[in-house]
Parts: sequence; C-alpha cells; structure tokens
Amino acid sequence: MPGGDFHPWFFVIVAAWVLVCGLGVVLFRKIMYSAVSMVFCFLGVAFAYALLNAPLVAIIQILVYVGAISIVIIFAIMLTEVQHGGYDLFFNRQTAIAAVVALVGAAVLAFVALSSDIGQIGDKSLTPGLRQLSRLIFDRYVFPFELVSLVLVAAMIGAIVLATREKERP
Amino acid sequence: MNALYWWLLLSFLLFCIGAFGVLARRNVILVVMSLEIMLNAVNLALVATANFRAGAKGAGTLFALFIIVLAAAEVTVGLAIVIANYRNRRTVQTDTFDELKG
Repeated sequence: MPGGDFHPWFFVIVAAWVLVCGLGVVLFRKIMYSAVSMVFCFLGVAFAYALLNAPLVAIIQILVYVGAISIVIIFAIMLTEVQHGGYDLFFNRQTAIAAVVALVGAAVLAFVALSSDIGQIGDKSLTPGLRQLSRLIFDRYVFPFELVSLVLVAAMIGAIVLATREKERP
Repeated sequence: MNALYWWLLLSFLLFCIGAFGVLARRNVILVVMSLEIMLNAVNLALVATANFRAGAKGAGTLFALFIIVLAAAEVTVGLAIVIANYRNRRTVQTDTFDELKG
C-alpha cells in the first residue's frame, strides 16, 4: 500500500470509492443515476489528486469536472431523454466482447507496469509547488497554454453554431 | 510494491471501466460520460507519475491541467453534436445512427 505523508487506508478508501462509482456509471440502468455516480467518481479523483500533493489539480478538477462538465451533461440528459417509458436495451450487442476487451486491457496494462522499472524509486513526493508550476506555464509552456485557450474559444463557438436551430431563410 | 504501482493500477482499472462503458452502452450521452472517466484515469496516471518521478519536473501536473481544459472543450462539442442529432432523429441510441451506412 502506498505510504508517504498519509495513512495507507486513505488510498484504499479513495480507490474503492472511485472504482465503485466508476462501475456505477457504466452499470446503472437509469442514466440520471449514472450521471450522479459520475459526479461522485470525479470527486473521488479530486481526493486522489489531493493525496498526490497536487492541490491545484484537485481544485481545478472540482471546478471544471464536478462543477461545469457535470452540469452540461445533466442538461444534455434532460434535453434528450426519451420520456415515454424506459428502453430495455441499454447495452448493445457487443457487451460480452467489450467486457473481455476491458479485462484483457487492464491485465496487459498492469503486467507492463509491473514488469517495467517505473516504480523503482522512492516514495517521497516530488510534485513542484505552485510557484514552480506557474513558472512552467508562463515561461516554458506558454505557447501550448495560449493554444489551449484558442481551442477552448473555437470549441465554444462551434458548440453554439452546432446547437442553435437554423432559422428559415426568407 | 511501490506506491506508484498502486496508483497506476487504480488508473488502469478506471480506464478499463471507462473503455467498457464506451464499447458497451447504447446511449450516446453515457458514451461521453465514459470517455470523461477514461480521461480522468489518464490524468490520474499523469499526476501520480509526476508526483513520484524526478524526471518529470512538474510537466505531468501541467499536462493534466491541459487535458482537463481539452476535455471540457471536447464534452461541449460532443454534446452539441448529440443535441443537434437528437433534434433531427429524436433518438440518442448509438445503433440507430446508421445514415452513413452503405
């Protein structure tokens, strides 16, 4: 179990929380239950970031995922959900293959990580502080930073153009 | 076992739960939600690796922030497409999107 600056049981609690809520997202029949489960899954991931000494990422995770993206997804559910009765087929025909692919993928990833030497390092935390991180953003990675903001503006304009109803032309 | 292994294992399991959701569910909005879970798993792996590896020099944390912003952009455009499609077809089931089928 991971030690470090926190008790190992914190990792167990966070891991169980994230995995149970993640399974809830893909297994619940009602999509609104899935959405609420997804919110709790994002919250668990935010706690994982806090345990990993990345408080800035944890705060931004709560702001963006728990705050914004969940609201957008819940609005989309409320705008599109089929009102008349539930549909029985909430899984498609390739569910068995999908389960096998997911399990084999997890096994392969775990095997690769265990056979590499990526973990042969100390348990001490090396995450940079806020000052170093902001220096990275605005000095070395300033061009990707500006590019990301451009992508965000383009995505917002694109979403408005896509989602507005076309007016009848005279 | 090292601490990083456990965090990476959690990230892999979360990624595969998301992949199962993308492959197996019929509702498009649930596919988008599963995609978000996969992106979260990748972020978790990045932050964990940046926390324990000296070579990263904070770039892993930074890339996690970039991925969060790009995920916000992606979910906006994706749900706009879903709603535009729902307006025309009155459905959000993936296997009814077969207009381009030859």
